[in-house]
Amino acid sequence: MTVLTRGAYAAPGTSLDFKTGNWRSTEKPVHIHAKAPCHAACPAGEDQQAWFAKLQEGHVEEAWRELVSANPLPAATGRVCPHPCETACNRKDVDGALAIHNVERWLGDEAIANGWAYPVEPPADDAPTVAIIGAGPGGLSAAYHCLRQGLKAEIFEALPEAGGLLRSGIPRTRLPREPLNAEIDRLLALPGITLHLQTRLGRDVSLAELKASHAAVLLAPGCQESKHWDVGGAVPSDLHEGLSLLREFMDHGQFPEAHNVVVHGGGNTAVDLCRLMKRAGSEHVTLITASGLPGPDTDPDDLINVVPRELDEALEEGIEIIDHATVNRLIMKGSKVTGVEVVSLKKEPSASGRKRRVSFEGTERVMEADMVIPCIGERVDPDGLNHLLDGSYFWPDSPFGKLEDGVYAIGDARGDRGTVAGAIGDGAKAVEAAAAHIAGRPQPTLDTRAEMASTGLNPVYYALSPRAEPPKVPPEARTFTTEIEGDIGRTAALAEAQRCLSCGNCLACDNCWTLCPDNAVIKTQELASDGSHYLFDLDYCKGCGLCAHECPTGYIQMVPETA
Amino acid sequence: MQDQARLAELRQKFGREPAAPSEPTAERTPREAQPRFRGLESGHRACQGCGEALAARLVMESAGPDVMVANATGCLEVFTTPWPQSAWRVPWIHSLFENSAAVASGMEAAMKAKGQNTKVLAFGGDGGTYDIGFQALSGMLERYHNILYVCYDNEAYMNTGIQRSSSTPHAATTTTSPAGKERMGKRHLKKDLLSIIAAHHIPYAASASVAYPQDLQRKVRYAMGIDGPTFLVVHSPCPLGWRHASALTIEVARKAVECGLFPLVELERGAVTNIMPIRQVRPVTDYLKLQGRFAHLTRDGDPRAQEERDHLQALADYNINVFGLAGDGDDPVDTSGITTVGRGGPLAGRPQ
Repeated sequence: MTVLTRGAYAAPGTSLDFKTGNWRSTEKPVHIHAKAPCHAACPAGEDQQAWFAKLQEGHVEEAWRELVSANPLPAATGRVCPHPCETACNRKDVDGALAIHNVERWLGDEAIANGWAYPVEPPADDAPTVAIIGAGPGGLSAAYHCLRQGLKAEIFEALPEAGGLLRSGIPRTRLPREPLNAEIDRLLALPGITLHLQTRLGRDVSLAELKASHAAVLLAPGCQESKHWDVGGAVPSDLHEGLSLLREFMDHGQFPEAHNVVVHGGGNTAVDLCRLMKRAGSEHVTLITASGLPGPDTDPDDLINVVPRELDEALEEGIEIIDHATVNRLIMKGSKVTGVEVVSLKKEPSASGRKRRVSFEGTERVMEADMVIPCIGERVDPDGLNHLLDGSYFWPDSPFGKLEDGVYAIGDARGDRGTVAGAIGDGAKAVEAAAAHIAGRPQPTLDTRAEMASTGLNPVYYALSPRAEPPKVPPEARTFTTEIEGDIGRTAALAEAQRCLSCGNCLACDNCWTLCPDNAVIKTQELASDGSHYLFDLDYCKGCGLCAHECPTGYIQMVPETA
Repeated sequence: MQDQARLAELRQKFGREPAAPSEPTAERTPREAQPRFRGLESGHRACQGCGEALAARLVMESAGPDVMVANATGCLEVFTTPWPQSAWRVPWIHSLFENSAAVASGMEAAMKAKGQNTKVLAFGGDGGTYDIGFQALSGMLERYHNILYVCYDNEAYMNTGIQRSSSTPHAATTTTSPAGKERMGKRHLKKDLLSIIAAHHIPYAASASVAYPQDLQRKVRYAMGIDGPTFLVVHSPCPLGWRHASALTIEVARKAVECGLFPLVELERGAVTNIMPIRQVRPVTDYLKLQGRFAHLTRDGDPRAQEERDHLQALADYNINVFGLAGDGDDPVDTSGITTVGRGGPLAGRPQ
């Protein structure tokens, strides 16, 4: 009888023939590109993580291209934006948020200095043309995104210059004219954009004409009309409203004389005005705002809506701020103001759930004042737009700004915006919707990916390094023309880029590849179509979860097997 | 024909699909194109999150491909070579529990006789190194064989079901040192094997941890370059025996180093020549509370638990003092610096 040795009934083989992948009982690892919090918070729709990744690789021009794929005006926003991205940055609780704002500005300036070309193609000769009302940041962004969508853009601007609020409402100490002009000129010189200056809607063109002659109409008129302001029916005879005072000053370089100024409001215009008046010689400038100042316990809803840096600088310069207060009464001599009565106030929740303003009896005090400036906001100039307005603003239902077929609202005029970045983001979104409408495609949807929270990161793998601070002109040396905040510089900008945690996106750090006990992570640049460098070999992955736990950025997550 | 029937019967009995070994394919698969040596391949039967499988894979990457392995009995032997398959892609011999150093000595002598330079590695777990194979190891070191001996230290006899070894840390519970009314886990201390090895005055002996793969692989490469006996003990968490989640293997190993209970040191000719500084020394409870084998130490209100915690803290402090582990300012290769990654990989070793 034949005796079988053990070797006779199975040939020696490699363990690769044994697929351990079926050991996974509940979860498998997947690559999930979650939104970085900076990206989720950016009103302009920039993906800061994406352009910081390019900077980390040392590709500065590519980083700028990535940046301007969303925001064509980085030199401007890099100076004026209240940078909610930095407030959201997951690094803020570690050793300070990234100086995203300063790096953005540096990239914008580099692009101007080096003449880098915007990543757009000239539209086809027979491409549809979109009419855009207003050449402010929203209108300019819309025109630029028209080119990116293969459309032509025709802008109608009432003023003799393009730039909108960037030019008329922001002091040079924050936004000097050189980078602003350079960036706007570069953008307007792109083939496919036509600009008509001194062409006012309702006077020189009408909405009905534009709707008939153009494929779509985008409304970015901004808010030009001051809201009515009085205190118990009293209005001083020499009332100056905030934004118009600021505009006059920017045109003529002079303020009406005043010693004790009270500014009533709580936005960037109010703070800009306070600082300029103080610098122009007013002894006491007081800001009275219903909102709260930033502090550890401040409710974000209650926080004053001012660029944090600007607020710090204002306090540095000796602006007094009375928070949680309002002007209760004007004390007048004849029709001239001699003082104000201030009362404490807070926004309290009401039974209906909406906030209401409650002023507290017994907190009234009187302040001397010879000028009171309301800075309580502006409304859309209704000329030619009356039928579309819902009160002071458009209030569109859609995040894409759609008012009616082929008509979209952008920026401050929407009613629920209030930043340059917001207007720029609206421009991109409205054009996306308009382009889909023109081409007969389904309407675009918002990016609903989850946001990567700091708890999803593994902090062990990041080095601590302090945030870079740009140079600043000291308060005593500040003028009306010199920019206060300086350039961060190439070295600091590139070093700052290395601090980016790359939340939710692959760093290509090799951790998963190095630490998989089962050799089930395969490194490959060509085949990893999800943007990473790695594949999971689910034939062998036992589902231990080690790679997900040790992934610094949260890019690897464990999901139920059936998903 | 009769053979075929018997063959089918046996295959049935051993419960495996009668598949022929996979044929090599013409085009290179992504797995074959990996930019590293795959000495220990996928398909091995280690548990989820096995620290030892990871450690062995990392050692093989840095040591291979021109090596041969003598492997003691233990998890590593069992899970890599369930007959008729092998996860090893180098020559590999298993004989007994107690003799991997002796087998390796013979392999090395044979290589010498053949005039070949293939380096011999000897692998064992803590049972096969600290206890059962100890005299063979001592002899190997004394006879000055050109062998790198790697001990995968998971601090108990995990293969046979978590029995205490002389490497099991003080106060850990195992099936033969259970925590209960009488005792708080293991009564005795973890054997200081590295000092005994160092007393052989061999060229190089070091401890490493799977939590610091770059450091581990540097130590392997350094040992590979030495013509003589070298010894490496690698701290390799065992999720099953230590009772922690399989995803926490690296975190547990890292905390063992950061609290001082498992110092990473290098000894040459018996003298300490290098240590990995700890940037932020953490309390031992950070390490203990992750693991079920120390669960009895984290109970509140038990004075015995308090005493044993303090004992382990004292042992960690002792290590920190004796080896000077507390960091002196930030160092790119201290416990925090060496883990730092940037885009494209670890930062340690990159030009600053």
